Formats: sequence, C-alpha cells, structure tokens
Amino acid sequence: MMARWSARTVWLAGLGLLAMALVAGSAQGAYAISPAQLWHVLRDMVGGSDNPTPEHLVFVNIRLPRLLLGVAAGAGLGLAGALMQGLFRNPLADPGLIGVSSGAALAAASFIVMGNLWFPDLPRALGSWTLVSMAFMGGLVVTFLIYALAQSQGGTRMGLMLLAGIAVNALAGAGLGYLSFLATDEQLRNLQFWLLGSLGGARWSAVVLVGAVVILACGAGLTLARPLNAIALGEAQAVLLGVDVERTKRWAIWVCALAVGAVTATTGMIGFVGLIAPHWVRMVAGPDHRIVLPGSALLGAALVLAADAVARTAVKPAELPLGVLTAFIGVPMFLFMLRHFRGRV
Amino acid sequence: MSLRCTHVGVSADGKKRLAQVDATLEPGRFTAILGPNGAGKSTLMSLLTGQRQPMGGQVLLRNRPLSAYSAADMATVRAVMLQESAVAFDFLVREVVELGRYPHRYQPTQDEAGLVQQAMEATQVAHLADRNVTTLSGGEKARVQLARALAQVWHPRTDGADRWLFLDEPTAALDLAHQHQVMRLLRKWVAREGLSVVAVLHDVNLALRYVDDVLVLDGRLAHFGPTHEVLSAQTLASVWGVSSQAVNSEDGVRQYLFA
Amino acid sequence: MQAISSPSVAWPRRKLLLLTSCAGASLALPAWAQSGAKPRRIVSISGAMTEVVFALGAQNMLVATDTTSLYPEAAQKTAKVGYMRQLSAEGLLSLKPDAVIGTTEAGPPVVLDQVRSAGVQVELVKADHTWAEVGRKVQVVGKAAGLDAQARALQARLDAQWAATQQQVAKAARKPRVLFILSHSATPQVSGGATAANAVILYAGGVNALTGFDGYRPMTAEAMASAAPEVILSSTQSIDAHGGVDKFWQRPELALTPAFKRKALVTMEASKLLGFGPRLPDAVREIHEKILLA
Repeated sequence: MMARWSARTVWLAGLGLLAMALVAGSAQGAYAISPAQLWHVLRDMVGGSDNPTPEHLVFVNIRLPRLLLGVAAGAGLGLAGALMQGLFRNPLADPGLIGVSSGAALAAASFIVMGNLWFPDLPRALGSWTLVSMAFMGGLVVTFLIYALAQSQGGTRMGLMLLAGIAVNALAGAGLGYLSFLATDEQLRNLQFWLLGSLGGARWSAVVLVGAVVILACGAGLTLARPLNAIALGEAQAVLLGVDVERTKRWAIWVCALAVGAVTATTGMIGFVGLIAPHWVRMVAGPDHRIVLPGSALLGAALVLAADAVARTAVKPAELPLGVLTAFIGVPMFLFMLRHFRGRV
Repeated sequence: MSLRCTHVGVSADGKKRLAQVDATLEPGRFTAILGPNGAGKSTLMSLLTGQRQPMGGQVLLRNRPLSAYSAADMATVRAVMLQESAVAFDFLVREVVELGRYPHRYQPTQDEAGLVQQAMEATQVAHLADRNVTTLSGGEKARVQLARALAQVWHPRTDGADRWLFLDEPTAALDLAHQHQVMRLLRKWVAREGLSVVAVLHDVNLALRYVDDVLVLDGRLAHFGPTHEVLSAQTLASVWGVSSQAVNSEDGVRQYLFA
Repeated sequence: MQAISSPSVAWPRRKLLLLTSCAGASLALPAWAQSGAKPRRIVSISGAMTEVVFALGAQNMLVATDTTSLYPEAAQKTAKVGYMRQLSAEGLLSLKPDAVIGTTEAGPPVVLDQVRSAGVQVELVKADHTWAEVGRKVQVVGKAAGLDAQARALQARLDAQWAATQQQVAKAARKPRVLFILSHSATPQVSGGATAANAVILYAGGVNALTGFDGYRPMTAEAMASAAPEVILSSTQSIDAHGGVDKFWQRPELALTPAFKRKALVTMEASKLLGFGPRLPDAVREIHEKILLA
C-alpha cells in the first residue's frame, strides 16, 4: 500500500499548488501583461506609485480581486464539501445536499425575474448588491428549512436531512422552472449565466466580504476535525467517546451554509469542487479530517484558480462560464469515484 | 463505585415492558448479561452505558444518575464496544484505535503512540496496524474495536475512579481461539487492573468459565447473582427452554452440554 | 475695372474647386482622416450599432463585436467578445478600445463599470423599440467614432427613408392581423406587446393578433385559434429551426388559423427584422408590402 502523505506534506503541497496557481493566474489573462510588466506592477503595489500604468490598473482592479475571489470561493467550497462528507459519513456527499445552492439560486432567480416588480426604482449598482444579499439569504433560509425538517426526538437525523434535502431541492428546482417560464428573454439569459457561475465582475468589496466569511468558516471548521473523525465510527460511538455530536452537526451545517452561501451569492453556482477536492486529499493522505479539511480548502482554491484561468483565456476576448469547466472536470471524476466506491455507497 | 440499577424498566422500543432490573454491579468484577433473543440485553446495556434514559427507575453511578454526568466525563471512565461499528472512510487500524484516546485529548500521557501499540498487541491486531480497517474480516474488526475500547480506559484514573468497559456481544464474530483469548484478556484486566467489565454474551459456557456475576433477562424477570448460582440447569431450562447436562471440564470448571 | 479673376467670375470657380477637392478627399481618405482625428478603436456590443459603423464607413475603427453582430458579412470576421450579457472586463480592455458601444442590455454591469473606470468611453443606448431608438444608436456611434457630421447626414437619409415608408404604410386600405413566431428552442414562442416584433408589426401597418400580454409566451393551439391571425411573421432562422417552410406549416397549432389556409407566411432575417438598426425602414417597407400580398 502506498505510503500516506503526512499532514506536513499535505500543507506544503497544498500551499505550493495554490502559490503556483496564483502565480500562473496572475500572468494569464485576456489582457496581455508580460512578466516584466507584472513585476513592475507588484513593485508599484508595494511601494506605491503616482502614475499607474494601464497594466497596473487592469491587474489591481480586475485580475487580482478575481484571483483572490477564486481562492476564497475554492477554499470555501472545498472545506464545505469535506465537512458535508464527514457529517453524512459518505464520500459522495456535497454541499448541495443541505440546499444552500438551490436556495441561493431560487432567490437570485426571484430577484432577476421579479426584481423590477419588487424594486422598480433600484439603481443598477445597488441592484447587484441586492442580488448578492438575496441569494445569500435564500441559501440560509432553505438550509434552515431542511435542518428543521431533519429534527426528531433524538436530535438531527442525517437520514432525514438527506431526504428533506432531496425534497426541498426538488421544490426549489420547480420554483426555478416557474420563474424561467415567467422570465423575458433577457432575464432568462441573465439567469442562465448566473446559474453557470463566473468569477467575472469580482470587486474588492465582494472579495473582502467573501474572504472574511471563508476565513471564519475555515477557522470554525478546523475545530470540527477531531469530532468528525470520531463520528466516522458512527454517531452512537462518537457520543460514547464524549463527542457533542449534535453541536458538531449544527456547527458543520451552518459553517457550510455560510461559506457556500457567501460564495454562491457572489459567483453563482460552481459545482463539483466540494465533491472532488476532499476525495483527492483522502486518496493521498487518508481520511483524518485534521488533514482533509485544510487540504480540501487548499486544493479547492487551486482547482478554482486553474479552471478560471482556462475560463478566461480559452476563448478570449470572451469568457467561458466557470461552472461549465468545473463540471467538465468534475463529472468524469464523479463517475470514477462512483465506480471506486460502489461497494460502499 | 458501583453501578446500581434501581427498578430500571427494560423495554423494547419504549413500549412493551420486558423486565424490571434491580441490581448493583460492583466494580472490579466481570459481569455478563445473558438471555434469549429479544429479552432486552442490548437495551439494558444501552441503559447502563448512559446511551438511553430508563423509562422507569434509575441507573446510578456513585449514587448519581447517569444523566447527571456529561458525555465527555463519562467517556473518560467508561468505554463501550457496540455490536455493530461500521467505519466510514478508509481509516487505518492504528487510527481507529487512536480514536479511543479522544476523551483524553487534553490530558495525553507521555507515550500515546506506545499505548496504542500495546492496545493493538493485547487484542492481537498489531500486525494489522497499517491496514485499512474496512478491508478486514468481521472478527478482525471486532478485535480492533476492542483495542480501541481498551485504549480508552487504559490508564488508571488519578482520582481513583473506577473504569468500566461495556461490550455488546464481543465474541459474536470471533473464531473459537479468539473468543477464549479475548475472554482471558478481559479476565486479566479485571483481576490485575481492577477494570469493571460488563458484557452481553450468548455463550453460557464462556460465562461459566470467565465471568463473576451474571444478569439473566428472562422475558419479565431478571436474575442477578454469581454465575454458578444463577446458571443452574433449572434456570437454563426455564429461561432458554433447553435441557442441559452438566459436565466438569478437566480444570474443574462446570460446563453444560445442550440438547 | 474688370480683371480676369474678378470675384464675380472667380468665386464660383473657387467654390467648385473646393467642392471637388472635398469630394475627392471623401473618396480617397478614410473617415477618420476626414475629421482630422487619430483612429478610434471601437468595440460594438450591438448588431444594429455594428451596422451603423459600417454605414458610416468607419469599419476600420471596429476592433471587436459581439455575437449578435452578423451583418454585414464583414462583421462576422471581427474579433468576438462573446455574448452581450456576459462580457469580460479583461477581454474588453485587452482590445485597448477608446469606446465601447451597445444597448442597455449589455452586461454584467460590474464589468462595464470596470471598463469605464479604466478610462474607456462606454455608451449604452436604451432599447425601447421605437424609431427614436435607431436615431440614438446612430448618434452614439457617431460620437464614439468622432464622426458626428457624417452621423447626422446618415440620420437625415434614414429619416427620409422612414418618412417615405410611413407614408406608404398610411395609404394602405386595411390592417392585416399579424402574429409573430420565434423559434430558438423546442417550443415556439409567440409575441404579445412590448417587444421589438410587436413594434415592427405596428410600424408595418399591421395589427398584432395577440393582445392582453407583454413579452413572449409559448404557442398553444387554443391561443392561436382565438387569435386568428391572417399572416404569420417569423425570422428565417426560426423557419430553418423548424426544418423548412413545409415542416413549419405542419405544426398542429397553426392548422386552425386563417393564415394556414393561404399559407400566409412572411419571413425575414432576424437581425434585419428585429435589430432596430439602419435597415429598419427597409425592413418595415418590405414587411408592409408582403403582409398585404400574403
């Protein structure tokens, strides 16, 4: 059996991959910035500059916030995926099970289609923040609904949560379908692109907000690593080992909801990162959550950066939607995992 | 201090009352819970471990009800080996046994790794230490769980509190040799370490050979007392409905042949 | 005293010289040179405005267009910035444009803000499906290209065409009931009010057979029967999506309409029909004539 990577190796490899992805992402883009120009830009950023060059403006106002949003998004999604898999004790679990993504999508669709009806005088700039806020709230509301439905006498039943999630997700899907029916052509296209996910249009304000939420989520998530290890022996056994299983579940679900909600509200739906990243970390380093949680965050960030680099250069000056690329990578991975794990599903 | 059941009602699925148990389990003894299927053995076990609250009566540890203790505190004085333990994800045997040390994570001993190694050696799974636990046989998995439970109560407590080990059918998946090896191991821990062991067993003869006290659940009745007193031919006939013939083994332990 | 080059004789000749030299210049030099400005780099996010660029002869200022800019054919060969509602900031800026022009449908808004803050002139025209919309487009293109005079001249020509078309339409004896069908996906959609198609029908002297709703709805047999259109209007792309005219008429929803009996179908290429660009007067006149004949 291949020797497992140690925690230190995973951290080094994860940070190394992320650093490479950041460097590569900085140098790539539709707007040509040579390495020499990039070096000048970085120097100017540190030292301050009176006359920013166009390259400087493009890098600082457009490319850098986009890269950092990608890091935050990938880290949040990777962490959430690992938390969900630990919680459901199933490597095929995904943050979508708790309904954050579909809730956010439904809320976003409501705003896109009905927004003019509800907020007719909204200025355009405020409009995009309203969309983000509504999507975030929508994700939290649907998660709360699914969480509430999963409560029984003995606490939160994960089996119930799974079923409730399926039902509520289906309902959200129907709602989305109805809104698509009501939508004009323009609204439909806007909705379509929102659903496909994109890091385009990343602003520093969004980066700071999402980044703060994801950092908090990572911090909180890491404290759940050992309890999740114990839960892998079974919820009953975890209680007998002294784990506060109910508290762990609550924290895991809400950390996920906040992280995925913030990311989805800002970037639309980026799928499969939460599914793939933890699997890959487990393959090389084993299932200890003390390694899998941070590893999934780092790998998720690197994956999103890599996919985004392709998204914004493959058909330049146009852009591919990010969700399309993560799906193209993710679906074959998912099928492979299904084969590999079929005895355990 | 003892584990006392006062008027504890044992019921299946919270409905039908099966038996009422009044018993005091003294520390440092090996107790077995026996009875036919459906008599409520696992249910009683879950009441003794604090997993479930009794519908009537109380389970008292050091004269306080189990519900008065926090789960974290309980985990430092008692370990439980459940009947079924499906491990999600490909943990190594060593990692599973290490999880037994989770309740002591804020007060680790000087040589945690050594402790884990010794626990694995005790149940003869040390050679499987780096194996994926999900690929093991049923018997191997059971011994891994036992090692994990032992690791949990390995060291005596500084406050002198008794350590308890609860086992739900620990021998069910084991082959003959390992059945006796495990029972001997438990016997040794009771004798030398003062560990208090409570195990649900199916095999009457194993109980007769290794166990100090038995609690026999019989539909609506519970019989508690020293093994050889309670497990007489009449009890076997009335509780299990089998006719038995006593024989004395070579080392003087009474065993029964069944028909 | 009379000289050979007395003013009364020389002035007309000088004027003639000036005029011919100007005419010569307008033939020999590209548009930007006439205005004396340096070449402007323009990105067009609207098919109609791309057409205006070409109509002004400023196509060498055009560095990129969106996916709907398909006319004239040369427009298809320019670099494409993608779909108008999903633009990329870096993509646009990498073209180093001086001006980005389009309709208010272009987006996302954040991307356009980023482009604006990089010093690019971003001009968006509101699409309200009126003749004035075309005028706004011409004006914006003129401003972006630095060709205001030529834009005004083009506007004048187009206004004249429009006036002539309107007169022709006004003279018509009847107003046929027209219904517009759009077919980009599996279910054909029909147009109510407040759409470009509705505006074109009205301008062409028809009456929209469908009333009571705005926007597009899926086509249903009952709705078609009660609407009872005399003429069906559609885009050539929609008919192709059906598999041709014959397959189109085989649709059961159409069987009960008056249009079906006479196979009264008027088609036009989509960007000409709905683009609200410089070809609008032409498009309206053509449709007007055809719906009367159908």
